[in-house]
Amino acid sequence: MTTAKNPNRQKIKDEDSDLIQRINSGQLDQFHDLVKRYEQKLYNFSLRMCRDHSDAEDMVQDTFLNVFKYLKDFRYESKFKNWLYKVAASTCIKKRRKSKFAPEKELSLDEFRPSDEADAPEEVPQWAQMPLDKLLNAELTGAVHRGILAIPKKYRMVIVLRDIEGFSTAETAQILNLSPANVKVRLHRARLFLRDKLKGYFENEQ
Amino acid sequence: MSSDDHDHKHCLEMFEKLSEYIDGELDHATCAEIQKHAEDCVACFSCLETLKRTVALCKNVGDKPIPQNLSAKLKEIIENMPKTAAP
Repeated sequence: MTTAKNPNRQKIKDEDSDLIQRINSGQLDQFHDLVKRYEQKLYNFSLRMCRDHSDAEDMVQDTFLNVFKYLKDFRYESKFKNWLYKVAASTCIKKRRKSKFAPEKELSLDEFRPSDEADAPEEVPQWAQMPLDKLLNAELTGAVHRGILAIPKKYRMVIVLRDIEGFSTAETAQILNLSPANVKVRLHRARLFLRDKLKGYFENEQ
Repeated sequence: MSSDDHDHKHCLEMFEKLSEYIDGELDHATCAEIQKHAEDCVACFSCLETLKRTVALCKNVGDKPIPQNLSAKLKEIIENMPKTAAP
């Protein structure tokens, strides 16, 4: 979480800068405002990273404790929100290392490559053509959430940051300490994995 | 994949770049190539559209409200944090 000081780096001022400065200058009671600002976002990020509600709640608590601990090291070299997600991602990865999960599944592009002519679809499925607002209901939202949770974690983290939290490729790379090329590779595989889950969902619906 | 005037290898090359295409991260020439290919190949067009829809669903899935007990617990944790130590 600590970052080396780089005097040549331009400082970034965003909507959180003043609040961070006040907290770091000793107005610790204002830390609560920072928590209020981000607790819902972090809770939802945690829900998407942990399969269990209670793990998600622990992750939110641990993230804010780490933010409190390391806030003095924040150098304003990125947006605060990006730094916060870096802390959250790191908290999540450490939590996983401590647990006794089996090694994570690698996703290969071969699993998703289109097969040759014999299996080629003759038309675009309806779920990809219907207006989005007509398609998206509570049940489908649940199916998307389950599909996301089924993605192996290292790919899931990328799709959640890129497609749900709205970070760019460069920002995601910075948050996860990955190269932009690696982010793109993981994102493509995660999207293909989720697409297959959704395809399955819609096929079972019919 | 479905048409005789292009081979499956070309489809696979396009397939690898579809996410970058959706995200507008490819150069103009490659974008034009994918567009042209998707116009001629139903299978690739379908693959592109279902992938686009997957991304759109992710972007629109929405957030759940934080449970009140968690919010209260966070407040309590902050109140009990040492006021003289970090930051």
